[in-house]
Amino acid sequence: MQKALLLFAIPFIAAAQYQNNRVTWIEPGGTETLPAFDQFDDFLGKLGVIQASGPVDTKGHPFFTPLGTNGRACVNCHQPAYGMSVSAEGLRERWRTTGGKDPVFAAFDGSNCPDLPQDQEKSHSLLLNRGLFRIPLQWPPRNADGSPKPVEFSIEVVRDPTGCNVSSVYGLKSAHPTVSVFRRPRPAANLKYVVSGAQNIVLKTGMLADRDPEAGKPVSMNLMSDAREPSLATQAMDAILGHEEARETPSGKKLKTIVDFESHVYAAQVEHVFAGPLVDPEGPFGLGPEALRDRRAGVLGDNDFDPVFGLFDSWKGKDYYRASIARGANIFMFRQFWLRDAAHINSIGLGNPLKRTCATCHNAQMTGQDLSAGWVDVGTTNYPTWTEPGTWADSADLPVFKITCQKTVDPHPYLGRVIYTTDPGRALISGRCVDVGSIVMQQLRGLAARPPYFANGSAKNLREVVDFYDRRFDMKLSEAEKDDLVNFLGVL
Amino acid sequence: MRLACCLWLLATAVAGAQERSFLACPIVRDTKTVPCFLAEYNGELYFLGIQQDITAAFHPPQLKHQVLVEGRVSEGPRVCGGIPLQPLSVSVIKEVDPACNTLLPAEPGIDAPPATRGAGPASRRLTEPPASESLSGRQEFTILFAFDDDYVEYASIAKVRKAAAYATKIGASAVNLMGYRATTLLSNGDRLVEKPGLAEKRTQAIATLLRGSGVPGVTADWKKEPEPGDGKTDPSRRRVTITVMP
Repeated sequence: MQKALLLFAIPFIAAAQYQNNRVTWIEPGGTETLPAFDQFDDFLGKLGVIQASGPVDTKGHPFFTPLGTNGRACVNCHQPAYGMSVSAEGLRERWRTTGGKDPVFAAFDGSNCPDLPQDQEKSHSLLLNRGLFRIPLQWPPRNADGSPKPVEFSIEVVRDPTGCNVSSVYGLKSAHPTVSVFRRPRPAANLKYVVSGAQNIVLKTGMLADRDPEAGKPVSMNLMSDAREPSLATQAMDAILGHEEARETPSGKKLKTIVDFESHVYAAQVEHVFAGPLVDPEGPFGLGPEALRDRRAGVLGDNDFDPVFGLFDSWKGKDYYRASIARGANIFMFRQFWLRDAAHINSIGLGNPLKRTCATCHNAQMTGQDLSAGWVDVGTTNYPTWTEPGTWADSADLPVFKITCQKTVDPHPYLGRVIYTTDPGRALISGRCVDVGSIVMQQLRGLAARPPYFANGSAKNLREVVDFYDRRFDMKLSEAEKDDLVNFLGVL
Repeated sequence: MRLACCLWLLATAVAGAQERSFLACPIVRDTKTVPCFLAEYNGELYFLGIQQDITAAFHPPQLKHQVLVEGRVSEGPRVCGGIPLQPLSVSVIKEVDPACNTLLPAEPGIDAPPATRGAGPASRRLTEPPASESLSGRQEFTILFAFDDDYVEYASIAKVRKAAAYATKIGASAVNLMGYRATTLLSNGDRLVEKPGLAEKRTQAIATLLRGSGVPGVTADWKKEPEPGDGKTDPSRRRVTITVMP
């Protein structure tokens, strides 16, 4: 009965949050002051956002001020109300409110391709339906000095509903060969965890980690979905020159201000619509943004004594939803299944298959990322396990690429030398065949505020995330276990 | 003299009979704890090892790939239904082989040996590795590789770090690398030769790691021709040696 109540309640709550205009959309160039703590309705309750350095005056602040030519600022895609990311529903609302004039819909990457008619909704379908921004990546990839990297494979466009990869101006065979992939913006929050765990040598590759060009130190390589930018500063620079279409590089002072701001934002669910307030002195240590602010980064949580989000034992009582959340946490930590054919998990010496749990890979305490440089081919982008409904010739929304690996290189460990993919992932940066389809894991915090999920926005809700894993790894989860996992993920 | 010669030949033949070097699909057997990895050769089942974690010496093979097994038949009872091999080297053959797909269910009476880590989350804290022995003078570190592979595994990374730390500590006058590729003599008499260019790739990979770890004066050389195979010690020749000179 209570479960049914939740199912009926979600649409009502989602509607209510827009009816009462509680959700705020911060426009670039505004003059608001962000409080030290704020909370926002989301579809499962409330998200809390902490500015750990105190209230932030947005006026003139480079995170909130357009620095380029298209009117955008960082905040366009990293809104506090959406867990410092942005949801597809929020974007649709923005389209309705502005008639598509908000700079978030900029032709460059807020549409399926810049050469499409920008006043038409269908030209922005991937952003509006799946929350995906276009990421144009030059091909072949380049070294820091601008020289082309050696590449182990050829890439062809099999089909592209967006048209961008076959465009004479923006495509793979244009004067500036470019591969366009479409990805969700990652949350600009809880970043001390995301950038921690750096080691000089990446265990998954046996190769050197990238280095922060400013500090000269190795970096975590967990910052972006393809790990292409080493530091918050270089990411900000790349975003300003790309997403904001700036013609001049921002000053070091502006970059530092952005990085300082991002490094002090913590976002997590603070209230569940039925389980109530989540920060509980007797409960798990990991919930709420204060815990994220206060705890130490770089801690391995794949253990039973200091687990990823804490122990939920005290919630195993009579309260229906808290008990369900606790069971979900237990499944996440302890429910064994066969991890199979996941490049950079099974292929790094752990064996295939590997009998383990969710926390084996989602092992970083507080975020559930991988503490090691975390790109993994979990199967979301590569045929046949990909999230799309069609065959390799019939993906519904996304472009499909054919990757053909050279005979002399190591093939993809489970897909061989010919791979069909909607996003080659890390391979577009590394040029390596073994990386095709590998995407850096993202943090599991503030999920209720920022659907859809996966880097390709294919999972409309948390249930679809769970269903994907259940299908992909034949977990044989019961309906009750799926509900528990969804409830658990919803309070992070 | 003739008797001594005969005894040596007999000893060699017996020793050779204990060596196993073969290609096969791995077999995974589930147990109530961690899975066992096995492989079959000439109608006999061999135990390779159990699932542990990346820090373990044994890295299990992979379904969807053949495995090259190089080991010596060990004394003692069967483990997980298979004859144990010790020492043992397993190498995952890179090309995908969909036929390698045998996952056996757990069976009563077939148990995996005790594992330092079960199939769930870890249940004990990582302990600091024991302090390494105090080194001095010229030191040689040998980095071993799986067959036809230049991937630097977890244990090898630790060894590279150790070499880098030592070179830095003593202010090494030179750090010389020598890389090799090798041949494996299979038990059926066939020979597997690692691909051309691999010795250079291995050596450059280690050189990059050392230089990236701040070690100056790294020189790299490699032998283009493959080392010969004897069916007994072949894994030891797939290597890069790091010589740290005071």
